[in-house]
Amino acid sequence: MAQQAFVQSLRQIVGDANVLDSDVHLQLYQYDAYLEERRPDAVVFVHSTEEVARVVKVCHDYGVPFVPRGGGTNLSGGTIPFKGGVVLEMIRMNRLLEVDKANLRARVQPGMFNLELGNALAPLGYQYLPDPASQKAATLGGNVAENSGGPHCFKYGVTTNHVTGLTVVLSDGAVVTLGGEAPDEPGYDLTGVFVGSEGTFGVCTEVVVRIVRQAEGVKTMLAIYDSIEKGSETVSAIVAAGMVPATLEMMDQLVIQAVEKSLSCGLPLDCATVLIIEVDGLKDDLEAQTEAIERLCLAHGAREVRVAKNDAERALLWAGRRGAFGAVARLTPSYLVCDGTVPRTALPEVLRKVAEVGEKYDLRIPNVFHAGDGNLHPLILFDWRDAEQKERVMKAGMEILALCVQLGGTISGEHGVGLEKMDAMRLVLSEADIRCQLKLKQAFDPSDLANPGKIFPAPLEVAHVQ
Amino acid sequence: MSSELAAFRATLAQAIGEDHVLAAVESTAPYAVDGVCPALVLRPGTQDEVAQVVTACAAARVALVPWGGGTSMTAGNPPKRLDAVLSLERLDRVVEFDADNLCITVEAGLTLARLQALVAAKQEILPLDPPASDRVTLGGLVAANLSGPSRLLHGTARDWVLGLRVVLPSGEQIRCGGRVIKNVTGYDMNKLFIRSFGTLGVITEVTLKLLPMPETRASVLGLFPTLAAAKAVLEAVQASFLLPEAMDLLDPAAAGLLLPALGLASPTGHLLATAFSGSQATVDRQVRDLEALVAEQGGRGLTLREAASTQAWQAITNVLGSVPPASLRVLIQVSVPIGRTAGMLASVSARAAEQGLSAAVTCHAASGLLRAALLPAPELPADAALEALAAATLALRDEAVALGGSLTVQAGVPAFKARVDAWGTPGSGFATMRRIKDAFDPHGLCSPGRFLGGI
Repeated sequence: MAQQAFVQSLRQIVGDANVLDSDVHLQLYQYDAYLEERRPDAVVFVHSTEEVARVVKVCHDYGVPFVPRGGGTNLSGGTIPFKGGVVLEMIRMNRLLEVDKANLRARVQPGMFNLELGNALAPLGYQYLPDPASQKAATLGGNVAENSGGPHCFKYGVTTNHVTGLTVVLSDGAVVTLGGEAPDEPGYDLTGVFVGSEGTFGVCTEVVVRIVRQAEGVKTMLAIYDSIEKGSETVSAIVAAGMVPATLEMMDQLVIQAVEKSLSCGLPLDCATVLIIEVDGLKDDLEAQTEAIERLCLAHGAREVRVAKNDAERALLWAGRRGAFGAVARLTPSYLVCDGTVPRTALPEVLRKVAEVGEKYDLRIPNVFHAGDGNLHPLILFDWRDAEQKERVMKAGMEILALCVQLGGTISGEHGVGLEKMDAMRLVLSEADIRCQLKLKQAFDPSDLANPGKIFPAPLEVAHVQ
Repeated sequence: MSSELAAFRATLAQAIGEDHVLAAVESTAPYAVDGVCPALVLRPGTQDEVAQVVTACAAARVALVPWGGGTSMTAGNPPKRLDAVLSLERLDRVVEFDADNLCITVEAGLTLARLQALVAAKQEILPLDPPASDRVTLGGLVAANLSGPSRLLHGTARDWVLGLRVVLPSGEQIRCGGRVIKNVTGYDMNKLFIRSFGTLGVITEVTLKLLPMPETRASVLGLFPTLAAAKAVLEAVQASFLLPEAMDLLDPAAAGLLLPALGLASPTGHLLATAFSGSQATVDRQVRDLEALVAEQGGRGLTLREAASTQAWQAITNVLGSVPPASLRVLIQVSVPIGRTAGMLASVSARAAEQGLSAAVTCHAASGLLRAALLPAPELPADAALEALAAATLALRDEAVALGGSLTVQAGVPAFKARVDAWGTPGSGFATMRRIKDAFDPHGLCSPGRFLGGI
């Protein structure tokens, strides 16, 4: 039987213990942090580029789809094996291969957690800047696949701005190196297009990242508001004043309350919103910058501004922000995270309209987001056991994305399209735009085996039939 | 004129106006690429007109090369075919300047200098500073991935382009990205067109992220008796907390071209120029630290502020443009890992000297990018001169490739390019690049042959 022969070929490459295909095991790999599920046919633990290449080659020979999976934190269904096939479990490829201080690069395997890299670099005085809130559990391979952002991306850019080279296994099993340590490789920027390709171009097995010196100083402050509108106005005011803080993060009252219940960070429970603002760089003007921002916040209606006095206070503020998604899980069995993005000045308007969407569909929608980037994360709360409620949630989510597009923004800032936003692609892209993206997909993966069934909406003809 | 060609010209004239279809040889000669003169120069006035022109070219199987300011037309390999140049000079409008959101959308033919002047009026900057900013267009900057000294702190076009509009080789118009700073709506198509060198279509519109204008700027220029002394300062800065905007290192020949303008007349040496921008407090501190480092290494220091600093950087950025243009001059760009930059600077001088060439070398010393002008001795016969230029260039390419880098030819006569491929040997990703090119431009009509591996 083909299936048996196929699995046998996999076992020959990685050994029996590294292929899982029992029901119980497969069940564990049928979901990620999104809401849909689909069971794979096999899970393969891989340990090297060579193993990945051989496994992918076997998949190619049998015409079996494959999906690489890191921490499984994906919020848009990117790691769900939508068309079955093999899940490549990358988590054991988790080594830091090289820290090259002279050339300001690090070479890492994709299964390493983002935070682990940070922890390894810190004692050397260096850092890797992109820092998704899920950095404890999100892998660098996943960051590459999704072009992940994070709080510090307002000043420092997203993953793509910090990845200079990749080793990739293409869907026919060929191993290619793209970019590297040196800049401006001749030819098309395949590193640049691979980052953010959501596993649909192949499997990344090694990443070369840019590292930088740690900042000389950091100041973190918390601005507390009784009006969410005033908080979001302050964000634009800070930027208009010519300042570029490292972070401009916002949480609203529902999120604050959830965070306080689970983490006790000392956030005021009675305020409408807080801004977490951090400035970093040379210590010479940090004090002055902090004071200027404090004045601006107060002038724009903050009731109080607290400046973290030490590392412990700073860590507590960040624990609250980074723990926000987890804490909100206390409020309901499930939630849908929207990831729409708008031009910064549209924040007050979009927040007002998100609240209206909540009222219209009778849903609670707390907000926690990267305000500096204009990247919203409304969390639509619901109970997955209630099918009718889930339907309302999906409608509300789509309406919020449409709002973002109307205000000059887009449907995803950092979580990816995956399964979740395929139908929203047409809110932003023309048929010609979609065809153009598909050409790129076909050039990388002519046999459509790398994470198939994602990103692209069904062709229009089919959509009409439905 | 064949009837087919006449019909094609009539279609174009109808689309963009007869005045903008240039066929007389005196009009088309200035648009020759590596000695190949186009039969037609087409000057559409709008993005839709660009699409009509490209559609007509596709239907008639006419090979075209997009042309912005023409500053990168000496780079790359000679075109395999060149029927028409598509000039974007009339597309120089601002589509939208959203100063509050630090974002501007412009047509591709607008020059960088004009964009900078526009955004400066709102106290904003685009931190990209390639040579010849008065002629470089935004479309050209993106297509050729041009950069300048401040890439050290600010990166390159790929870090500042938020969105593009492109006319594909089929004539179809598409959009990539948008105008928000985080965007993962499908693939990052901007990256495909940045540095695609006109081979995947015609960029017609560019949306860019901007920065607030820094409070102040200053530079410290250090002239050092040895490369080792300059390198010691460079490495001390890299190990420190300092955040220079730019660090350029010039060999004595390149420095010699600048020194009169900078008032550092007599002694020769390696010049390390470091720029700082930001608040007064941080710039002052960094200037002090750097002055101390320069003195410690026995350098002669000169600190310039504000306009004087800006002027100095104009001269530094354009220094190779002031190399006396000899008929066989070759310009190369070498890319190596950051820590290898200063060493490569020495290699370029050495390999040139071995071949009896004179060289002027400059580099973005903490970014891994070098540029050099190579000149044969004037008395050398052309064949021998070309052999020497080719030998030095290929030796340097081997060295760069061994370090994980590359060497590209930015300018050279066709006889030189016949000896040295402008891009070098493609890597393992090339099969995918080839498939991309074939999918986007199946008839090979957009800048055919000018790019890597014959693309």
